[in-house]
This record gives sequence, C-alpha cells and structure tokens, in this order.
Amino acid sequence: MSELRIDLDGNRSHFLPGDDVAGRVVWRLTEPSEALELRLFWHTSGKGTEDVVIARSHRFDAPGTYGEQEFRFRLPAGPYSFSGTLITLAWSLELVSLPGEGTERVDIVVAPTPVEVRLQSLGRPPKSEIIRIGPVRR
Amino acid sequence: MIRPVDNPFASRYVEALPFRCAASNLDDLIDRLVSQQGRGAVVGPHGSGKTTLAEALAQRVGGDIVRIHLGTETRQPLTSTIRSLPRVVEPRHTIVLDGAEQLGPVAWWRTWRQLRSAGTVVITGHKPGRLPVIHECSTDPDLLRELVAELSPEIVETFDLDELFSRHQGNLRLCFRELYDVCATSEG
Repeated sequence: MSELRIDLDGNRSHFLPGDDVAGRVVWRLTEPSEALELRLFWHTSGKGTEDVVIARSHRFDAPGTYGEQEFRFRLPAGPYSFSGTLITLAWSLELVSLPGEGTERVDIVVAPTPVEVRLQSLGRPPKSEIIRIGPVRR
Repeated sequence: MIRPVDNPFASRYVEALPFRCAASNLDDLIDRLVSQQGRGAVVGPHGSGKTTLAEALAQRVGGDIVRIHLGTETRQPLTSTIRSLPRVVEPRHTIVLDGAEQLGPVAWWRTWRQLRSAGTVVITGHKPGRLPVIHECSTDPDLLRELVAELSPEIVETFDLDELFSRHQGNLRLCFRELYDVCATSEG
C-alpha cells in the first residue's frame, strides 16, 4: 500500500499571513509515479457552492517509488482562515501522486489570530430611519 | 455555533448523497440510456434529484465527463458556459447538460450540433421534449426522511420533516437549505 506524508516543521498547524510554510514530503509508492504535486490551497465549504483556489504548488518529477524532499512556500497575505454562518474558509496542503488516486492532506490555519477568525452574526439589521428633506407637508 | 464545514447539511455532504429511487435502480437506467444510443433526459421538478441522477449516470458510463450547468443559479452567463465545451466533442466524451430548459430552440439546436458526436449525452430539465426521457424524478416525505437520517439522525427525531416537505412543495434542495440554517443557529 502506498504511503504519502506531509510533515510540517515543528508540527506547526497555525501560520500568520506571509509566513513560510516549510516541511518535508515523504513517499513510498507501490508503483512508480509520473510525478508528485504538492499544493497549498484554500477552499470554502458551507451552504453554497464550494470554491477551491490553489495559491502555490510544486511538482516533483519522476519521484521513483520512495523518497523525501523538503519544501517551503511563502503564504500570501490572505484570505484568512475563517468561519461565519454561511461558509468556512480553510487552508490545506495536499500531496498528490500523478496520475492516480493517492493523496495526503494536512489542514492548517492561516490567520493573525491564534485560531481561525470567527465571524459573528450581526443579527437583524437596524430599521433605517426615514429622513425627510424639504418642507413638511401638512 | 456550528462551523459551516461541520454542518451536516453543508452542500458538500448533500451533494455527496447517492441517487435513490424506489422505482428503478441505476443499472436499469443505464440499460435504458444505452438502448437510446447514449442519449437521454432526466426530468422532474426543482430539487427532485435530477442533477444527482445525471451525475451518477455519467460516473457509471465513464469516459471524459464534461459538466455544463445552466441552472438558474449558475454564475456564468449562458453563452460563456456553452463556450466552455471542448472545441471538438468526440465519442470519448460523456456530456452532462444540467438545466437544458434554459436553452431556447435556437440555442438548443446550436448546442446539440456541438454535442451530438459525444458518446453519451445526459440532459436534465423540468419537462420532457429535448431527448427521450430515461427517468422522471419525484420526491416524497419518506425519501426526505431517509436522506436526512443519513446526514443527521437527530434532526429526524426533532424536526417536523413532513411539514418541511409540504412547505417547500417537495423541493428537497430547499428543505436541506432550511435544515442547514436550523443546524447553523442551534446551540452547540
């Protein structure tokens, strides 16, 4: 059985925007793979359509059946990891064996706060006040 | 407050529900599709599982699957969606055209000219007409209960699903959206 692994330096799972995400990918495959691709991406999940955006990626060509490589990605300034009422935006690293089904994923938090940003419901919007301009009709 | 990604009625979990139908199984529908030279329509009202079934059929047929969503909720304008088709459609392609009723007669004719070389074409719509019907989707409260039980057994116990089904006139998509809100606003 194939094994794909992503080890993050210092077992970190929380990063500030602009930080470097660094670590090592390890693979032991039952059959040689054409390439391995490491992707840093964010994705949304919740009530509506899901979005996925790959922010950084690195391809390891002809990786053979086993090996390991170090990697380093610079995180962009945003978006932050957050959860509101309608969607969660989460960051992940994914190692994919190409072509094939093998994948390994590690979730990380990218935010200026110690945990993902939590958006609170604002509740009902206040009733707008009617402002009259001009002479008042009687 | 529950995180959206953990909400049992988040779209990723709802869309992952497999097609269910008491009257026919997927193998029968594949046979029907094959007997119609790989052309068929799935029809039914809003939220009755047309897209789910079309996707299940395409997955079973295999090939290079091309999905075109023309539903009223699509983000792209119709013309750019149609332009996203492969330049050359070949027998290896399996096309899912979701929301075919959005196309007028001329647009349908142009689209069909583009698609007709595909090995398989499955369209969805609210009414029969464009391609021979392979299945007419319908819903009932028992189906809703069965699907909800798979996503969140607690909701089946605590929520009046018959009333929900009736209020949304059998549109399961709207039922799931309301249940999403129920879970999103519930404590814990």
